[in-house]
Amino acid sequence: MQWPLTYHEKKRVVQLAIVLALAGWIAADALLGGAAYWQRVWLRLPLLLTGSGSGWPLTGGFALNIFLGLGSMALAAIMGTLLAFGMMAKSRLVRLPCFFVMNFLRNSPWLVLLFAMLYIIPFNVRLFGVSIAVPAFVKAVIGLSLPTAANFAEIIRGAVQSIHSGQWEAARALGYMPMAIYSRIILPQALRRMIPGWMNLYALLMIATSLATVTGIQDVLTTLNTLLSMENERVIVYFYITTLFLFFAYCYPIALLARRMEQSVKGDTL
Amino acid sequence: MFGLDYSWLSDPVYQGWLLRGTLNTIGLALASSAVAVLIGTFGALALSLRIAWLDALIELFVELFRNTPPLLQMLFFYFTLSTIGLRVTDPVTGLSVPLLSAFDCALVSLSFFGGALCIEAFRSGLESLPRSVNEAARSLGYSRWGRFRRIEVPIASRICLPALTNILTNLFKTTSQASVITVPELMYYAGQIYNDTFRTAEVMLLVLLIYVSLVSVLSWGMSRIERALAFPGYGKGH
Repeated sequence: MQWPLTYHEKKRVVQLAIVLALAGWIAADALLGGAAYWQRVWLRLPLLLTGSGSGWPLTGGFALNIFLGLGSMALAAIMGTLLAFGMMAKSRLVRLPCFFVMNFLRNSPWLVLLFAMLYIIPFNVRLFGVSIAVPAFVKAVIGLSLPTAANFAEIIRGAVQSIHSGQWEAARALGYMPMAIYSRIILPQALRRMIPGWMNLYALLMIATSLATVTGIQDVLTTLNTLLSMENERVIVYFYITTLFLFFAYCYPIALLARRMEQSVKGDTL
Repeated sequence: MFGLDYSWLSDPVYQGWLLRGTLNTIGLALASSAVAVLIGTFGALALSLRIAWLDALIELFVELFRNTPPLLQMLFFYFTLSTIGLRVTDPVTGLSVPLLSAFDCALVSLSFFGGALCIEAFRSGLESLPRSVNEAARSLGYSRWGRFRRIEVPIASRICLPALTNILTNLFKTTSQASVITVPELMYYAGQIYNDTFRTAEVMLLVLLIYVSLVSVLSWGMSRIERALAFPGYGKGH
């Protein structure tokens, strides 16, 4: 580092100082009696992370939030892609209902949708004469995937529309069929612009998985609440900070990476 | 229709609950939006001063509140602020009660969450101004403050409006999570109603419809504002 520091370097130095100050504060607090509390948190950390006291098998806790996020994202990707192509269809009969569904899902609160799915999806589904119980986890996945799918579709639509219209015209002039224009020309370019949006959406979804506690599955918040009922008032603060940090540690790197990619995609204007 | 039973809606008690819940939701959303926009404005203003330590602090605030669940933030504020000392003595009973009520905690956490999003949006709006605009203003003899007030804010605010619409609708939707810390808003009363009537699916469908219509009105209003404020070259003024 050269001496007059650049603005960016100065900022990094200050950030390092803040992190050090926080670490120092935690250490000082630990010396003044916080250590016993942190020990309680450390003892319970496997339970918070995996839902079982020994750390295996992965039956709940933060691991369940991750599974929930992945499952909802996969379901949302399928529904969102269908919805996006529906919104870009030529026929108004297809396009307008798709727009309506997308707007409805995007304008409804995640928590309310989750609750609605919890109560609207029946406890038992009769399929080919066999009655199958629908577990709360499946309901949570469906409830979270609905708003995600709407956002997913918007990202696809936005990216496809951001491709310059000259690309369409050139492809048509070269005699490509409509499906071939999509698969060979538009989507390969649009995909680059979709990926940061999808990553941001995944981070958002991961944050929203905390809502799944209302369905009663043993996710990190349910586990936390069960744990806290056995702890004294003071330890609660430490447990909450730990759980907040879990989410931050998972979501921040994704958001950071998404922003990096956004920056790199910004330059290419075709 | 579809076997749904809405006969409970004729009960004036439930009507009153729904109305009060809706009004509380709107109130919470309005208050937190106002504070969030204020935080965003001052945050973006502070960032544009380019002071390294202030920038670092604001970035920490933004990243902390953007990357943790608002629900967990609310629970954190609700359950821990009173234990770490934010308590007052009630003059009537002489008991020590939490300084912040559930509503205040929800308001604080929603404002911070929205504020973090606003700072980010306003900052990128200010940064997206072409450098030439600023140089032109400087050569015309505008002071730093004059440039900010007369050139940067009017243009940047129009660039940010779509992002602000997103944030405000997002914030409105997030107010439903305040029901978890017993703030008596729409979701909370919905829970009360289906606990009484056991008509869970019907109540949730109705509440979903109310939320969707309110958010749709909000985003429609914002797009009207966008169009009214548009000037050639920026946002909807193309």
